[in-house]
Amino acid sequence: MPNFRVNELSDDELREHATRAGLALRVDELRRIAQTLGRDPSIVEVHAFDAQWSEHCSYKSSRHLLRRLPTEGPTVMQGPAEDAGILHLGQAHGANWGVVIAHESHNHPSQVVPFEGAATGVGGIVRDVLCMGAEVIAVADPLRFGRVEDAESHQRYVAQGVVDGIAAYGNAIGVPNIAGDAYFDERFDDNCLVNVVALGLLKEQDIIHSAAPAHSEGWDIVLVGKATDTSGFGGAAFSSVTLDEEDEDANKGAVQVPDPFLKNVIMRATYRVCEYLRERGVTAGFKDLGAGGIMGCSAEICSSGGFGAIIDLDDVNTAIQNMPPEVIAVGETQERLCWVLPGDVTPDVLRIYNEEFSLPQIARGACATVIGAVQGEKRYVLRHGGEIVMDVPIDFLTGSIRDELPVRPMSEGKVTDPARRYVVGEHDLRQLFPRVLAHRDVCSREPLYVRYDGAVRGTTVIPRGSACAGVIAPVFGAPLGVALAVAGNPRFSKVDPFLAAQYAVLEAVRKVVSVGARPLGLTDCLNFGNPRNIEHYSELVHAIEGIALAARQLGTPFVSGNVSLYNESKTGNAIPASPIIACVGGMDDVSTVVTAGLKRSGSALFLLGRPQNAAGGAVFAELLEQTGGPVPPIDYERAIDQIAFFRAAADAGFILSARSIGNGGVLAALAEMAFPTLQPGYTPIGVRLEPAHGWSNGAVGDFEAYFGECGGFVFEANAADAQALRAIAPEHLYLMQIGHTASEATFDVGSVQFDLNELYECWHAPLAQVYP
Amino acid sequence: MSAKVAVLVFPGTNSEVETWRICRDVGLDAEVVHWSRAACLPQYDAYVLPGGFAYEDRIRAGAIPAHDPMMDYVIEGSQRGKLVLGICNGAQIVLEAGLVPGTGPVRKPTAAFTRNGPVPHFVCKHVYVKLAIAPERCAITAALEPGALIPAWAAHGEGRLAATAEHLREITEGSHIAFVYAHADGTVDERAVPNASALGCAALTNREGNVLAIMPHPERDAWNYNHPDRRDGRDILAPSGGVALFEAFAEALRRA
Amino acid sequence: MSLRTIAIKLKIPDNEAYTALTALRRLGVEIARLERAEIWQLEDGADAADFEQRVECNETLFNPNKHELHVLDSDRPREGEVWIEQIDAEDVPVRIAGVTRARRYAGWRLFTHGHAPADPQTVDTAVERLLCNPAIERAITP
Repeated sequence: MPNFRVNELSDDELREHATRAGLALRVDELRRIAQTLGRDPSIVEVHAFDAQWSEHCSYKSSRHLLRRLPTEGPTVMQGPAEDAGILHLGQAHGANWGVVIAHESHNHPSQVVPFEGAATGVGGIVRDVLCMGAEVIAVADPLRFGRVEDAESHQRYVAQGVVDGIAAYGNAIGVPNIAGDAYFDERFDDNCLVNVVALGLLKEQDIIHSAAPAHSEGWDIVLVGKATDTSGFGGAAFSSVTLDEEDEDANKGAVQVPDPFLKNVIMRATYRVCEYLRERGVTAGFKDLGAGGIMGCSAEICSSGGFGAIIDLDDVNTAIQNMPPEVIAVGETQERLCWVLPGDVTPDVLRIYNEEFSLPQIARGACATVIGAVQGEKRYVLRHGGEIVMDVPIDFLTGSIRDELPVRPMSEGKVTDPARRYVVGEHDLRQLFPRVLAHRDVCSREPLYVRYDGAVRGTTVIPRGSACAGVIAPVFGAPLGVALAVAGNPRFSKVDPFLAAQYAVLEAVRKVVSVGARPLGLTDCLNFGNPRNIEHYSELVHAIEGIALAARQLGTPFVSGNVSLYNESKTGNAIPASPIIACVGGMDDVSTVVTAGLKRSGSALFLLGRPQNAAGGAVFAELLEQTGGPVPPIDYERAIDQIAFFRAAADAGFILSARSIGNGGVLAALAEMAFPTLQPGYTPIGVRLEPAHGWSNGAVGDFEAYFGECGGFVFEANAADAQALRAIAPEHLYLMQIGHTASEATFDVGSVQFDLNELYECWHAPLAQVYP
Repeated sequence: MSAKVAVLVFPGTNSEVETWRICRDVGLDAEVVHWSRAACLPQYDAYVLPGGFAYEDRIRAGAIPAHDPMMDYVIEGSQRGKLVLGICNGAQIVLEAGLVPGTGPVRKPTAAFTRNGPVPHFVCKHVYVKLAIAPERCAITAALEPGALIPAWAAHGEGRLAATAEHLREITEGSHIAFVYAHADGTVDERAVPNASALGCAALTNREGNVLAIMPHPERDAWNYNHPDRRDGRDILAPSGGVALFEAFAEALRRA
Repeated sequence: MSLRTIAIKLKIPDNEAYTALTALRRLGVEIARLERAEIWQLEDGADAADFEQRVECNETLFNPNKHELHVLDSDRPREGEVWIEQIDAEDVPVRIAGVTRARRYAGWRLFTHGHAPADPQTVDTAVERLLCNPAIERAITP
């Protein structure tokens, strides 16, 4: 086997040699490999380590930090050890049901080929859920784009292509998109963020692990899916290098091609295989192919079971003849999965994929084939053309590696004007309210998500966009409900990454609570810049501390997550720290769901949350050009009690409709509750609010009260229940009746009256420019 | 004995489970039959073609599946009077197969559900469809009230009825438009149409009235939990709303 | 004002062309290979010299990471080729400097073996059986 020269080269020579070969491995890592193997590595080996030790596979600069996250609790069925975590949903039909959740990014590929990049992102996250033995029941897509106002800009092209790619893939495989968000900021101009979340459903006894099972020595390693081609070769390393304009051309070979049609069939065939294995009482191992391709997946599945593996690359179904072994081994062709199966069931499983679901007729060269075997000796061996081209200790290949990187102590964030508490000057509510609703981070997302199928599977209870969280009833014939919401505010991050991270958790949890669900657990996708830049790495460290703190305070565990680093371009434009959080909620009886549209006129409108004089990062402060003040601090004790009160009131049926407060504050939340009543065929319901100085006895500025983003809830309750609600709410909760609903289509704030239809136009129009 | 209904799965179909569930909930003996079992199709009394992206809508939505061997059986059955219900992608397939409006020879389509207008992208919106023919004009709608209003989800990128002027005239004169898009209160206007479909058409039937091709999905708003605001205290898991079309379908099979 | 015709082809694997090939063969159309392209006819008021460059600036039409751009020397299909146009298609608004109108077609090129274009009869059969729905589309052959 041809070798990659390491030992005889000087550090400078080796660095150049590695760069020329397209490797991201550093000199010290190459020396460590040669030293451990006792020889120069082969070409295949060096590419294998390059993929496996990339940040993408190894989490070398973040894994130790993630240990700080709380990952245990009564809702955890399986914590963050495998491709996805699992949360206890509840009991039905004599079984314990679990919700599987996985969360990933596909940022770099989406910046270069937006449609394919985003589509393959959905494809990858769906496989993570599928390989737990679950049925895929929902997806969500938190997105961050640059400035899209210019119709001819690359940013506009990215923003459109990404949404079309997510739609094309998710719609075709038949999984409803029930949650997501989108923020637009100049600091995402060169580096969009495409995060995707997928949910699955399974019975606890049916979990399939991503590890070769006990006593599986000699079992078959079966590769399922698309024929291996050259697409995505170097993809793992690709995600871990900084993008610049010249590289976009050089990355041609890295384009991963989605095939949702094939995936649709593979999913259905896999459900059938899982059913077959249950009938046969077989425990198998199952894992999806992602970064590191066949090598990464087969090595990880076998080493997690305490075994080695031997794979014959000649048995891999390839799309192109004479592919180099390193490309077959680590290329990242999409739509592939890997089973570890006892030999006596293999023929039946192959028959299901290849005949019953006719994979070879669905896509050129697609099939299920045996490519190798689990071996007792803990070595990872690849054969090709009758020769051994890789033979390394498996635990050395897959074992944890760690980069020690310098961190700066936490500062006061980037508050430039700590004394700024109020917005100053005379401002006109009449002008400001429509501008807040039309702000890029507040305006309607409908033009975007209308392209996503939100109702396939027939399980949708609250569709995307009609409340702060989406809700489905995924267990057929049982009233169990699952809620999903995402959060992460880059405007806050630009001011205070530590608080912003905490808000991401708190906001995701509140959103799930606002539809009447109980928070079960969290996932994170941590999108940051280059960890070798102390500034960015410190932001990552502080954000992890922030989300850990908030999750501990709220008693909500993390069960899976993902880290995406190097999100910056060489022009020096790094993204704002972007910890993006997804929260899953559960409902025992989905008939207690709280929807967001106002129900009737004459109801009482309540604010559950304390306005504060802190406008840092808020939309209205940006519009008034008075940013720079602090992000509002979080009082966890009060936030927790408010959540508990809201849930109790919802369970008792007091809450007719509700939203959690986010971008644009109380007024934006109430407007979004009124807008659904404007649909043709419905009766419009208007809003009548007391002037804000009555809400806080004048302690907080009017604009801070109307538009401040410190969170909480607004809700509608029967006027007859208003007194009872006030009576049972402890004073420190800050429960206040701030107005009532009315039968005219207006939105009155004190004596200032807005036409509801005009407000709706302000809110609905902006994004329709980008997504016509 | 209740009628046996096959819910067909082409490669790329994605709505088979909910479609099968609602058929079962209205008392039909429904089974999911997928492409490798096409040969067993003659034993079924009726066919439901669910939504999805059969062959990923390659070339045109419905074009390739219209030639799938499964459709040989569906075409033959429909010619012998069996009921065929095509929903969304199933409707596109039925049109490409020439079964609906059925004004030309088999597999020589005279109309299509094609790229949405005014902007050609996928649209997912809750809609209502209103019965636009006398109920008995189509066997599948015979048990509905005149002007029945049914909730559904439009979820398609190619749902705009298009045909030549001559074919559109045939469609109108032959009362082929079974459902039009409407608002929640039953009013019909342009704003209710999510895709610029000609004549506001949401569903077409054939001359004989045994085949119905409907673009929006009534099976996605077919249980109380799908629409909690409309529930009025009834069992959250009970069928409601869009189930009306499937109840009428089941009734038609009982009468047959 | 000149009429210029371009073909945008995928350089990444074209799944749609593969499915169409399989389906056509099943329908008895004897071809060995099938190529698919987006054909655009552009009315251009600017200089021919930098036309290609101007087209390449429109990312929606052309992304170098996945597309190949060919400026065709004829505004009619070649031998073995058919362009399918939606009958009620309107001009597509495209943003290319100098270009005032744009029409889009789905281009299919059929080969009986290797690089030998299919004969007109084979193309007609493919059009009639699968590639064109005459209720909404029109086929343009050489």
